[in-house]
Formats: sequence, C-alpha cells, structure tokens
Amino acid sequence: MEFKKILFPTKFRELAFNSLESILELKKAGLKEIVLTYIIPRDEVGFVPYGGYMKDEEERLREQARIRFENWQEAVSVEGIESKVRIEVGNPVPKLLRVAEEEKVDLIIAGRKKRTVLGKVYIGSHTLELVRRSRVPVLVSKYMVRFECEGDLITRVNDHIFTAPLLATDWSEPSEKALKLVSSFKELADKVMVTHIIGVKISKGLDKSELNRIEKESKERLEEYCDRLKKDGINAEPHLFSGRSAHEIIRVARERKASMIVMGTTGKDRFKEFWLGSVSHRVTEESELPVLLVP
Amino acid sequence: MRLGKWIAIIFLLSIFAFLVPAMATDHDQEVAATHDTEHGSTHGLEHAVSETGHGEDAGHGGHGGHVNLGETLPLWSCIPFACMLFSIALFPLLAPKFWHHHFGKISAFWAACLGIPFLIAFKGVAVHEILHIILADYVPFIILLWALYTVSGGILLKGTLRGTPMVNTIIILIGTILASWMGTTGAAMLLIRPFLKANNYRKNRTFMVVFFIFLVANVGGSLTPLGDPPLFLGFLHGVDFFWTMKIMPHMLVTAGILLVIYFFLDTYHYKKEGLTSAPVEEGVKEPLKLVGTHNFIFLGGVVGAVLTSGIVNWGEVNTLGIHRAMQDWSRDGFLILMGILSLWTTSKRLREDNDFTWFPIVEVAFLFIGIFITMVPCLLILKAGLKGELGFLIAAVKEPVHYFWVTGALSGFLDNAPTYLTFFNTALGAFYPGMPEAQAVPLLMTETSIYLKAISAGAVFFGAFSYIGNAPNFMVRSIAEEAGTSMPSFFGYILKYSLVFLFPTFVVVTLIFF
Repeated sequence: MEFKKILFPTKFRELAFNSLESILELKKAGLKEIVLTYIIPRDEVGFVPYGGYMKDEEERLREQARIRFENWQEAVSVEGIESKVRIEVGNPVPKLLRVAEEEKVDLIIAGRKKRTVLGKVYIGSHTLELVRRSRVPVLVSKYMVRFECEGDLITRVNDHIFTAPLLATDWSEPSEKALKLVSSFKELADKVMVTHIIGVKISKGLDKSELNRIEKESKERLEEYCDRLKKDGINAEPHLFSGRSAHEIIRVARERKASMIVMGTTGKDRFKEFWLGSVSHRVTEESELPVLLVP
Repeated sequence: MRLGKWIAIIFLLSIFAFLVPAMATDHDQEVAATHDTEHGSTHGLEHAVSETGHGEDAGHGGHGGHVNLGETLPLWSCIPFACMLFSIALFPLLAPKFWHHHFGKISAFWAACLGIPFLIAFKGVAVHEILHIILADYVPFIILLWALYTVSGGILLKGTLRGTPMVNTIIILIGTILASWMGTTGAAMLLIRPFLKANNYRKNRTFMVVFFIFLVANVGGSLTPLGDPPLFLGFLHGVDFFWTMKIMPHMLVTAGILLVIYFFLDTYHYKKEGLTSAPVEEGVKEPLKLVGTHNFIFLGGVVGAVLTSGIVNWGEVNTLGIHRAMQDWSRDGFLILMGILSLWTTSKRLREDNDFTWFPIVEVAFLFIGIFITMVPCLLILKAGLKGELGFLIAAVKEPVHYFWVTGALSGFLDNAPTYLTFFNTALGAFYPGMPEAQAVPLLMTETSIYLKAISAGAVFFGAFSYIGNAPNFMVRSIAEEAGTSMPSFFGYILKYSLVFLFPTFVVVTLIFF
C-alpha cells in the first residue's frame, strides 16, 4: 500500500504552499503524481438572489487559481513529481470526494482551520466531513498551529512529518491497514511508535486478573506489530497506556515528540458519532500534530 | 463613512416620517372620541380596538385589518416597501457581487427603516400588525416553500435523454403539469438538470431554458395554492384550495400557445443545426430512472396537509396576541415533518447528485422577511379602500382587464407574491371596504370572481416576464449558466423573449377571458 497519487485540495489560505512542500518528501515513499484541486463553492458564484450566476466571477476565480497552481506546479516538478490541476465548481466536500473517485487517488490532504482557538479544535466542519466520508486515507496536515502547553503559547511548525509517526491502534481492520501504510514510510521514518490505549470503557469494572490478561494480550499484539514493521526495515517501539483514549494518544504523542499520528477510522456518520463518539475524529480535532486517518 | 451617513439620514427621515402621521392619528382620535361621546357612535370603538392591538383576526389566517390606520397612513410609508422591491430589481443588475454578499443586510435595513419608526409611532398596533404578517403570512409561506424545496430536492431523474423537439416539449409539458402539485420551484429543480443534460449536444439552448422558465417555473403553477407563492398567500387569506382550478382555461390557453410556439421553434433550430439524424452518443447510455420516488409520498403529505387546513375548522389559538386557526399551525407542523422525513430517508448522495443546496431557500427567507414587514403600511392603506391614500389606484383599477395587466405588469418586475397580495387587498378595498376578510374573500371568490381570476392569472403568468418576477426564474438561470448555457441579459430576456412571445399570448388571454 503506497501513496502514488495524492489529491491536494486548497483554498489558497496562508501557508497552503508550505503544506504542499511538506508532503513532497513522500516521493521517497513512492509518490508519483499530485492532483492540485480548487473547488469554487457554488454559493460563491451561483444563485445570486434574483440575479442568477456570476460567470465573470467564476472565470476570475478560475484564472486566479490557475495562475497560482502554475507556480506550484513548477515547485512540484522540480522534485520530479508529476502534477495535474482540477478547478471545479460545486459543494466543496461532495465535489472533492467525486474528484478523488474520478482520479483514483491514494490519499487526500486536508488543511487545518484558518484561525485556531486556543485549546480547542484545529479543523473545520468541511475537513471533519471529508474525514468522515472519505474512502481513501486522509492526511490532516496542520502545517503551522498554535497551542497552549503548561500556560505557554507555543507555535509549532509541522514539517518533516513522516520522521516519527505514532501509530495508534485498536486492533481493528482500519488499524491493520494503517500499519501497512506506515510500512511504506521506511525511507522517511526514523522510528514508529506503535501505541495502544486500554480505554476506560474496557477497563472499567474489570477485576485485576482480567486487566492483567488484557494488558498481557495487548503487549503481545504490540510486539507483533513492531516485529512486522521491523521486518519491513522500520525501527518500531511499543507503548501501552490506559485511560481516556483520545486524551492519552494526544498526550503520548506530545511527550514522545511524535511528528504525526496515524490511526484507523471506522467512518462513523454524524449520528453515530454524536452518540458513540469517535476517538480518531477527536484526536484529529484536538491534536496539534498532523493526523493520518485510514478508513 | 459616506454610506454610513446615508444610512443614518434615511433612518432619521423614516422616524420623522412616521411620527407626523402618528401625531395626526392622536389628534384624530381625540376628535373622534369627542365625537363619539356626543353621538354614541361605534366608530370610536373601532379606534380603540385598533389602538390596543386586539383587532379581529377573522377566520382563516386573515384579519379584519386596522382600517383606521390604513386611512391615516401616508403614501410615503410605502417607500421602504418600494425600496425593498427596487433593491431586488436593481442590485442584481447593477452590483451583483455586492448584492450576493449583502442581500440579508439590505433586507434587514429596509425592514428596520419601516419597522422601528412604525413601532415608535404606533406602538401596540404596529407590534400587532408586524406580528400578524409574520405569523399569519410569512411563517406558513416560508414553511411551504421549504417543504416543497426539500421534498422535491430528494427526487432525481437519472439516465440518458436525447433532447429532440418532441422530447423537449414533453419534458416541459410534464414540468408544467407537475408545477401545480410540487410547486414551480420543485418542478423546475427536478427537471432543469436532466433537461440541460439532454440538450448538451445542441448549439442553441437559450430559448429552451427561457421557455422552460415561462412554463415550468411560472405558468404551470397556476392551478393550486401549492403551485406558486402568490396563490398560497391567497389561500392563507381564505381563497379555497380548489378555487384556483378556475384558472385552468386561462392556463390551458397560455400553456397551449407557448408549447406550440416552443415546438416549432425547437424544430426549426433542430433542423438548422443539421441534427435530423441521431447524434453520436458519448459514453454508456443509461436508462431513464426516477430515484428517491418515496418522496412523492411526502409530496402527497404536503398536498394533503394544505388541502386539509382549508377544509377543517379546529378552532383558534392565540399566539402572541395573534389569533391563528389550529389547523393552520397543524399544517405548518406537518409540512415541517414531511421535510424532515424527506431529509432523513433520502440518501445524502442522491441530494448531492441533485446538486442540492440550501442557499436559494435561505435567500428567499431573508428577502421575504424584509418584503413582508415593509409591505404592512401598503396593505393597510389598500384595505382602507377609497379612504386610503392609494384610493386613486383603487379608483383607476376598475375592470378585470385592469387587474390582469396592472397586477401582471408589476408582478413581472417585482416579485409576484407581494404584488398579488397588494392587488388582492386592492380588490377587497374596492368592493368590500371595511368588511372583515373572512366575509369579504368568499364574496370575492363568487360575486366578483372574475377580478380574483384576473389578479391570480396576472400574478402567476407575468411572473415569467423577467428574471425577477418569480424566485425559481433566477435559480433556473443560475443552473443553466453554470452548465454552460448562455442566457440573455435582464433586458435581453424581456426584449427578445417576453415581449415577443409572452406579450401577444397575454393579449390573447385578455381578449378571451377579460
């Protein structure tokens, strides 16, 4: 499993180009082509009340995007990676998913929210919807974020994001896929931190012997994951913790200086997520690190 | 800063403008009170009822109207209403980008220009009038549009169609028939994309979309209150659900003429483009399929709810001092339920394939709150009949032909829903001045039905006359332009199409019926 073709959608917000630059190193992991995509929201140009459609505005936005992409394409081609431009009009998320399907991409890159609220979420509703609905992995890149740590306001630049990924696994099928994906990072990653959290929901109410059994079993599984990565030539170390899953993953990633978090996601819809919660989506929203979600 | 000064000036002028007649009203009331004391007249009681804001909300969502206030209000209290309508007419032409991003603020500004001074000057009565138009007209109006838009947005016509003159004529005919039952917006949204897709190999598609607007987005909606917003407003004011079927002969003549013209025009272009043989199909031919058909059940629910609310009488309920029939609230609740069920049971993917977006309905909701609030004085003055400052209009508009053409001409360039309500009230003021709406409307449907027919047909048919005549027109235009069909400009549409095809058709309708 490799990232040969990537969809890079953008709204041309600040640092979008830096975000693009930060993923070019995926060439070492087999990246061949990037599809640079700009979706002109239909509501921006269409349905002018009692007016109709602003064709001129659409043309202007298209031209503006084309010129910017031309510049970006030069930078991409310098790295020996092919690129393609798609400028479409539509509802952003459904249109992006459609373009991803048409282009048969292996990965979608999603950006962070423009203004981050201290201690709150780093991604907007569009990104969250994309993450929920995508059938291909989504990397929420978060090139530059600000966060509060022990009372200090820290600005973090997330470049070289593939050097020390933290693979958070719950032993599910998507986690298994995530493991296979991480295997393709051998030219990029110095080490992979394979992590499992024994969640509160599981440990609550269990007696000590039962907890010990789960702990032993988890350790064995973690070792198995690490062995598989080592077999693929990647240095891996196991980490086992207990507590609130999302909170622990974010904490461990920060403490162990991970460069990104990789997780499987079961793709809960909004309704199920509201009632059951989603660890992967919460981590994506709240961690200051880039998060790669594998469905 | 300069803009801010202008806003402040307009605002201050509005307040001043309303305070003058308000003082005049106080003076009149003092005189009337003295007069009443002397002669024991009931006239003073009417004043008192108006003043306390507990006027009669007679019957079916209608109200008796504060006739006295209508007699007192000056003509220029209608200026915010005129400005609101002219904003809708001119901003999309002159500053479309500005309008697109600020239409909500503009609507709120004109509503405030009327609302704030009106409230300061007339206090309780003004609160009552504004609340009344919001609860009895605006809320059900928007709920119906939302329900029809939501339900029809869950139905998708898939498949490969080849747009020959016959196929196109049939699509437009089907849309014309459907429009009365799923609303002009619903029918237009259901068919415009398949219609454009079927004709994407044709060179000249502009006239097709224009005739689609004529028939599906306007004329077709003339048979039931669900069809076109003006007729629903009439229904809210007591016009029977099936009374609008009386427009059928007018509609058949109009639609018949336009469809025949369309067929010959399409055939001419078809031959001119050298398309007599079958075009080469690109890609796989997909059989025609209607998806999301379960939404027709909800559509049936919408029809049933509106119909039922016009038949049963479950008593009244007082909401914020406004008397509304229980069946009206139940209908509104049921319509919301139908919309929610449609959203819940229809896949997101289907709506996305339909390019469904909430934006158009949100726009309509924002603009119409401004329209409804600013039109309050205008409606009150018209209801006062010859005693109001618009008495000259009532005196001038006498014959059915006048009603047809004046309602129509204004509907063509201002939105047809408020125009309908304006002339509906003009007719009430002219024939039954001072009579409560619950008594006057049945008489308007029977004794003077030709006038109501003229108003109804004028409002619905002439909505097609320009892009701003009816809300679906601009939605269809927007979708067509996005799909690459060039559409005529505002004036191009009127000069090349409305004056050439609609105008003579309406002359024929006039000669036959009015």
